[in-house]
Amino acid sequence: MSLSFERLEATVRAAHGRPGRGYFLLLFLAAALAAFGGWAYSLVVREGLYLTGLQRPGGWGNLITDFVFWVGIAHSGTLISAILFLFRAKFRTAVYRVAEMMTVFAVMTAGLYPIFHLGRPWFAYWLFPIPNDRGLWVNFRSPLIWDVFAISTYFTVSTVFLLVGVAPDAAALRDKATGWRKKLYTLLAFGWRGTDEQWRHYTRAYLFFAAFATPLVVSVHSVVSWDFAVSILPGWHSTLFPPYFVAGAILSGVAMVIVILVPLRKWLHLEEIITPTHLDMLSRLVVLTSLIVTYSYVTEIATALGEPANDPERSTFIYRMTGDYAPLFWLMVACNCVGPALLLAGRVRRSIAAIFTISLFVNVGMWLERFNIVVTSLAHDRLPFNWRTYTPSWVEWAMTFGAFGWFFFWFLIGIKLLPPVSIAEMKEELAHEAHSSGEVAHAG
Amino acid sequence: MPAETGVLGSFGEPGAAARAVRALKAGGFADVRAAMPAPFPEVVAALGKPRSAVDFVTFPGALLGLLCGIGLTVGTSLAWPLVTGGKPIVSIPPFAIVIFEVTVLIGSLANLGALALGTWHGGRARFFPAQAQFNADRIGVFATGPDPLLAERILRESGAEEVSRVG
Repeated sequence: MSLSFERLEATVRAAHGRPGRGYFLLLFLAAALAAFGGWAYSLVVREGLYLTGLQRPGGWGNLITDFVFWVGIAHSGTLISAILFLFRAKFRTAVYRVAEMMTVFAVMTAGLYPIFHLGRPWFAYWLFPIPNDRGLWVNFRSPLIWDVFAISTYFTVSTVFLLVGVAPDAAALRDKATGWRKKLYTLLAFGWRGTDEQWRHYTRAYLFFAAFATPLVVSVHSVVSWDFAVSILPGWHSTLFPPYFVAGAILSGVAMVIVILVPLRKWLHLEEIITPTHLDMLSRLVVLTSLIVTYSYVTEIATALGEPANDPERSTFIYRMTGDYAPLFWLMVACNCVGPALLLAGRVRRSIAAIFTISLFVNVGMWLERFNIVVTSLAHDRLPFNWRTYTPSWVEWAMTFGAFGWFFFWFLIGIKLLPPVSIAEMKEELAHEAHSSGEVAHAG
Repeated sequence: MPAETGVLGSFGEPGAAARAVRALKAGGFADVRAAMPAPFPEVVAALGKPRSAVDFVTFPGALLGLLCGIGLTVGTSLAWPLVTGGKPIVSIPPFAIVIFEVTVLIGSLANLGALALGTWHGGRARFFPAQAQFNADRIGVFATGPDPLLAERILRESGAEEVSRVG
C-alpha cells in the first residue's frame, strides 16, 4: 500500500501549514477584486441600475448570467459527494471535500446576484415570507420566490453536509493540533470520539443527507431554468430547459473542480492522494455531461429551424448563430462541445495539462452559454421594433470579476481551515485496499 | 458519564479487531464496544449493532416539512387571495416546487438533529476509554464482563498490539 493512515493525516496537516507569500498575495488579489466589485455595486446602489447596460428589451444581462453560472458551479460538490456516494463511486473520496467547499462558496456567490439585481436591495428581506402588519405574503407563483427557496435550501443543506462530513476529520486533526487550531477543530468535531455508537448513527444519517441532497441537485438548476422557461420569450420557453440546465451545471461544476484541483494538489502536495486517475474519472464526467449539453444544443436548434420561416423561435435561433452575438455562440460551441470531445481519447485524459486547459475553456464556454441564453433571446424578442443589442457596462464587468474575487477569497481561507480531503473515508478505502492486497492498513 | 471497568485492546488492522469482537462475544462478553477512525465494515458487522433509529426522526421531519410547505403556500395564498397572471389562487404546480424545497430543508435539519442527538448519546452516555489514537490509526475494542483475564487473552490471541485494564 502506498499510503498509510499516519502519512495521510500528516499530508493533510502539512496542507494546513503556515502559508507562504504566494498564498497571501493570492488572498490579497482575491480580496482586492472582490472589493472592486463591491465598490462598483455600491455605485449601482447609490446611482441606480442605469449604470449597467440594461435597457429595454434587455432587462437581464451580465448579472443574471453570473447568477446562473455560479449556481451551476455549485452543482458539482453535491453531485460528487451525494450522488456518487449513493452510486458507490470510489473515486469521489479523494476529491469530494474540495468540491463541497466549492459548492458552499459558489452558492454564497450566486445568492448575491438576485439581490444585486433588485432596484432597492435593502428590501431583499421582502422575498421571504415574513409575517407583517399588512398581512401581505410573497407570491409563490413567482419564479423569483422559487429561487429564494431553492437557493436558501441548497445553501443550508450543502453547508450541513460539508460540516457533518468534516466532523470525524476534525476529531482526527484536533488530537494533534495546538493553539487556535485545536479550538477550531474541537468546535468542528462536535464532540466526535469515533465510538461505534457514533458511527452507527453517523453512517445512517449521512445516507439520508445524500438521499435528500440528490433530488435537491436536480431541483435547484431546474428551478433556475424555469426562471426562463415559464416565460413566453422565444429561446427561453422550452420544456428542454431543466435537463439541459442540470447537465450544463454539472459540466461547468466538474470543470471548475478540475481547474481548482490541478494547481491545488501541487501546491498542497496532495499528489499521492489526488492522483491522475481521479482527474481522469472527473474528465469522463466532463465528457458525459458535454455530450448531453451538445445533444441539447442540437435539439433546440433543430426544433427551432423546423418551424415556419416567420416563426419567432426560428428567428431567434438564426439570430443567435448569425447575428451580433454569433462569435460568442460559436466560441461557446467550441468550448463546450469540441473541447471536451477531445477527452474521449485516453491519451488526452492522461495529460493533466490537457485536462486543465479543456476544463478552463469549458468554464468560459459555460459562462458564454448563459450569456447567449439570457441576452440573445431578450435582444431579439417577438417585436422587431424592440430589438436592441445589449453591451455590458464596466460596472457589470467589475461585478462579474468581483464575484470571482469573492469566491476565491473564501475558498483560499476555507482550504486552509478545513481538511482538503476526507480523512475518514480515505482511511476506510485504504484499509479496504490493504485488506485486498494482504497488507496491514496502518503500515507506514 | 461514569467510567466503567473492563479491558481495552488496541488494533492496527480492522480484520483483527473484527476477529476480537467475534471471539469476545463467543466468549460470553455481551457488551463489546469499539472506537475507530473510520466505519470499517468488518468491525461494524462483527459488532452486530441494530440499525440507527435516526429514521424515526428524519422521516417525520420530512413529513412535517411537507405539511409546513403546504401550509405556507396554500395558507398564505388564501389569507390574501390576490389573482396574479390569471392563475388560480391555489396553484398546485408552482406550489409543489416550494413544498418540495421546504420538505427537504426541514427533513435535512431533522436528520441533523437526530444525528446530533445520536452521536451525543453514543459519545457521552456510553463509556469508552478516550484515546486519541482511535481517531487516528488504531481501532479500540473494549469489553466489560466478569472475567477480565479471559478478555485479555482473547484480545491478545486476536492480534491486539496493546491490551490494558481500565478502571
